[in-house]
Amino acid sequence: MNTAIDIFTVVAICAGAAFFMAGSVGLLRFPDSLTRLHALTKADNLGLGLIVLGLLPQADSLLGGLKLVAVWLLVQLASATVAQLIAQALRHRGRGT
Amino acid sequence: MSTSSDSRAGPPVRVAVGRAALFLAFWLMSAGYQPADLPVGLLAAAAATWASLRLLPPTATRLRLSSLIMFSLHFFRQSVISGIEVARIACDPRLPLRAGFVVYRCRLRSAGERGVFCALSSLLPGTLPTGTNEDGDLLIHCLDVTRPVVASLTEEETLFTRVLRHD
Repeated sequence: MNTAIDIFTVVAICAGAAFFMAGSVGLLRFPDSLTRLHALTKADNLGLGLIVLGLLPQADSLLGGLKLVAVWLLVQLASATVAQLIAQALRHRGRGT
Repeated sequence: MSTSSDSRAGPPVRVAVGRAALFLAFWLMSAGYQPADLPVGLLAAAAATWASLRLLPPTATRLRLSSLIMFSLHFFRQSVISGIEVARIACDPRLPLRAGFVVYRCRLRSAGERGVFCALSSLLPGTLPTGTNEDGDLLIHCLDVTRPVVASLTEEETLFTRVLRHD
């Protein structure tokens, strides 16, 4: 059972890392700031979600698990809010496209 | 089935106490319980409550629990699709982007509800709200303008509206 959980953790974390890498590739390849924001908010959020999902079974207590979920929720909240603010600022300065 | 979002929750003091308890519980969860640290936690919870009451005053809006669960499931599914889609475009050698803006007439009138809807839609596939135009319509930046962005946003908004109930 432990081996199955460990395999799940490794697979989920590797998948999460792959999405982080894809987000970073998007950051480098996408042509303007607004499209780069898509890469950072969407791919990285999924990457973090998968890493948290992979770490949850390894948490030593319920509290540890809740902390991981809280980290994920706070990052989602911050990312959704800040992405909009940056996008708005870029549009006002006419640098979005 | 519905739950109160501290809404109509009666007197403001009750709302404040409810929020303070929630913030303190969150602080205890993240920092752990040490009696010596408790004053810092109480101070942090009080500051967070003050900020939340100032920025998000209690309203007469309730959340429908069943609709909230439905929306959350839909949102998680869409977030996964969104991440996969961006990753696919980023790693495609041809970089198939058809980026541009789409104007979306949002039916939500309350600034708070609009803000939440915009935050949620910024995590959905291919859309990023960038504020409003002079007519008050949302300007959405899309990775692919040929996709039915307005239709999917309308669907998201309908689902989101079902979660809220105004008394």
